[in-house]
Amino acid sequence: MAPRFSEMIEEARLSARALKDYGDHFFNPTVRLGVTGLSRAGKTVFITALIHGLTRGGRFPVFEPFATGRIARARLAPQPDDAVPRFDYENHVRTLIEERRWPNSTVDISELRLVIDYQRQNGADRTLTLDIVDYPGEWLLDLPLLNKSYEQWSRESLALSRERPRAPLAAQWHAHLGTLSAEGHEDEQAALTAARLFTDYLRACRDERFAMSLLPPGRFLMPGNLAGSPALTFAPLDLPGEGVAPEGSLWAMMVRRYEAYKDVVVRPFFRDHFSRLDRQVVLVDALSAFNAGPEALHDLEAALAGILDCFRIGRSTFLSSLFRPRIDRILFAATKADHLHHSSHDRLEAVLRRTVAGAVTRAEDTGALIDVVALAAVRATREATVARGRDRLPSLLGTPAPGEIAGGEAFDGTTEVATFPGDLPADPEQLFAGEGAFRGLSSASAEKTDFRFLRFRPPQLESVNAEAPTLPHIRLDRALQFLIGDRLQ
Amino acid sequence: MSERTHHRKPATFKLDDPGVIVMDADETGRPSRGTVRVTPETDPALLPVPIEAPLVPAQRGFPWGAVFWSAVGGLVLLGLGLGITRLIEDLFARSEGLGFLGLALAFAAALALAIVVAREAFGLIRLATIEKLHARAAAVLVSDDRAESRGIVQDLLKLAHQNPHLARARATLQGHAGDIIDGADMIRLAERELMTPLDQEARRLVSSAAQRVSIVTAVSPRALVDVLFVFVASLRLIRQLARLYGGRPGALGMIRLMRHVIAHVAITGGMAASDSLIQQVLGHGLAAKLSQRLGEGVLNGLLTARLGLAAIDVTRPLPFTALPRPVLADLAKDLLRKREAEE
Repeated sequence: MAPRFSEMIEEARLSARALKDYGDHFFNPTVRLGVTGLSRAGKTVFITALIHGLTRGGRFPVFEPFATGRIARARLAPQPDDAVPRFDYENHVRTLIEERRWPNSTVDISELRLVIDYQRQNGADRTLTLDIVDYPGEWLLDLPLLNKSYEQWSRESLALSRERPRAPLAAQWHAHLGTLSAEGHEDEQAALTAARLFTDYLRACRDERFAMSLLPPGRFLMPGNLAGSPALTFAPLDLPGEGVAPEGSLWAMMVRRYEAYKDVVVRPFFRDHFSRLDRQVVLVDALSAFNAGPEALHDLEAALAGILDCFRIGRSTFLSSLFRPRIDRILFAATKADHLHHSSHDRLEAVLRRTVAGAVTRAEDTGALIDVVALAAVRATREATVARGRDRLPSLLGTPAPGEIAGGEAFDGTTEVATFPGDLPADPEQLFAGEGAFRGLSSASAEKTDFRFLRFRPPQLESVNAEAPTLPHIRLDRALQFLIGDRLQ
Repeated sequence: MSERTHHRKPATFKLDDPGVIVMDADETGRPSRGTVRVTPETDPALLPVPIEAPLVPAQRGFPWGAVFWSAVGGLVLLGLGLGITRLIEDLFARSEGLGFLGLALAFAAALALAIVVAREAFGLIRLATIEKLHARAAAVLVSDDRAESRGIVQDLLKLAHQNPHLARARATLQGHAGDIIDGADMIRLAERELMTPLDQEARRLVSSAAQRVSIVTAVSPRALVDVLFVFVASLRLIRQLARLYGGRPGALGMIRLMRHVIAHVAITGGMAASDSLIQQVLGHGLAAKLSQRLGEGVLNGLLTARLGLAAIDVTRPLPFTALPRPVLADLAKDLLRKREAEE
């Protein structure tokens, strides 16, 4: 009966929170926009570009309230939640525009409040508060753990780590695992070593050559202030099929710590942040999966399916917004669309749509809206046609980031290049045809891969000293229109 | 793998490489063999995006006018009801047979009124649906929203269901519903499939109405007859066009359509007068030089055609994008050819 009771308490806390939020929002309409994505998907850049565009006046022809001039201005307001770090917008803009570097990646949750003064279509003056919440997508992959026991999780992680191409990366950890006995006496040192090797294996999977996505628990890769604490010192064990953990065994210790992880890390995140979101953007970096190979693409698909299962989606009703807020719009955005010629954007969208197809059907039943878009929050390239012999290659012009390698040459970050990244197939199913569907870095050498998406430096803006240099983008306005356009009618 | 043959390998070219030449788009000339030419393209994001937004927002105040007319209408109805009740009572007082006859007539009148009102309401709703569809399609052409375009196509198919000649076109369009097609392209596809036969028919209707008007006004003895005939012919034309494109306007619907058409002519009329109309009258109007009456006939015909084109714009459920908008010049040519053939 005990777990049932704790669940009820958890639900009651959620409802109390929702009721309080509803009261606040009644007089002061607020949208909580969650921005997430697996690491390196471009969350920070997305938020920075969004705020920069709204406050400084970007080119947003499709974002109706902005294009028709109904938005009077958008300004930053003090961050409302005292326990959450503020999104460091000013520094990120400086890095992006002046240093021409991409901002550092998100390692923790952060938040920023934007207040939009606008005029409704019937002429009334209104204000909309937009709370943008930025959190690592890896934390989302933790949410399914809430419904899993240690034994279940352990079995699944172990099975996953024995598949290709993960198995070689996990070899060291597997070797250590062989020396452990689940029913043996609890041993702090063994647990520490196992956790360290397990984390190393997760980190290796994330490398550019493999670009794996499905790597729970998320805090192992981004420990923050919990590094070294018992809640992060556990690992899967080779467990016997049946039975319960004997008192005082290594197994029992792992179970305790796994539960602690859920209590200390996962539940507070779910309660304080995740369950309060109204709108959600999931940024997906499909291009690095193309770089790495079919396995990475499959992994991305599994990770996205896992993420989607956590969302409480559905059309918001009066009662639901009182007691159980739901996310009524989710946007899946394939970022870095500027690394592809615009004629291939539809194909990129088709790939992403194929990846989230299950979620879209489910969402349609609940009345929530889901959209898929290929976008680039900051456009780093220009387009060009390269004529080589009789070939006409739709290519991109840009400056590759220092250290990028193509054709056996490393770039220093100042040379401009034209690059053709490879043709995406018209039918996305071809990419999902299983192992060997296309060649990536995980299975072939750099010269033999089917796709090569270079990372480019942010663009050189022409008028840095002028009052408002606007950041070029691709379809950021369409994303905005989908996410908050209806609240600005 | 055969399917891989068309797949081109990724490649990267340094711009400062001597074998790479950067060219402007308008630059021609053949550089030496073996070099790689890079031509930067115009940035599509910097091209202007057309947004059709009225600068002055539509007035959306409380509809006091409608309240007034509804109240007056209600009062008149009440008065009528009272009068009829009294009449029937009087009839019963005189003789029972007359009373029942009166009662039956009153019921028949009430029933007919109810049906007429329902039909009018239905027609108005249908017109509103078409107008909304037009606006939504125009929005999708800008926003390229895929889900919305699917919704529009579904509604269009429902609308087109009453026209049996479109069965094949509907089937073709339904076959494409599951394909991955961008929002704007889906609208264009729907336009090509469903609107092509309707547009041809609409053009024929407009041009025959214009011909009829031009003949009648050329031979009619009085100006009043001209005016009446032009008015009746225009009304008929607008009703035919509305029916063709799926609307079923009743009397109120016609008033509403007429208002829209005239507003549309007023907006686009100046432009038309400046280019096509004057040009037509002065250039091809050889007939006008021959005879004044003939000239008037041609002019009236052209005006009717102009009205018909405006009516097409108003009654068509999709904006013109994939198909060419019929222009006055084409119709005027038809008209003049016919006149000259009759000479």
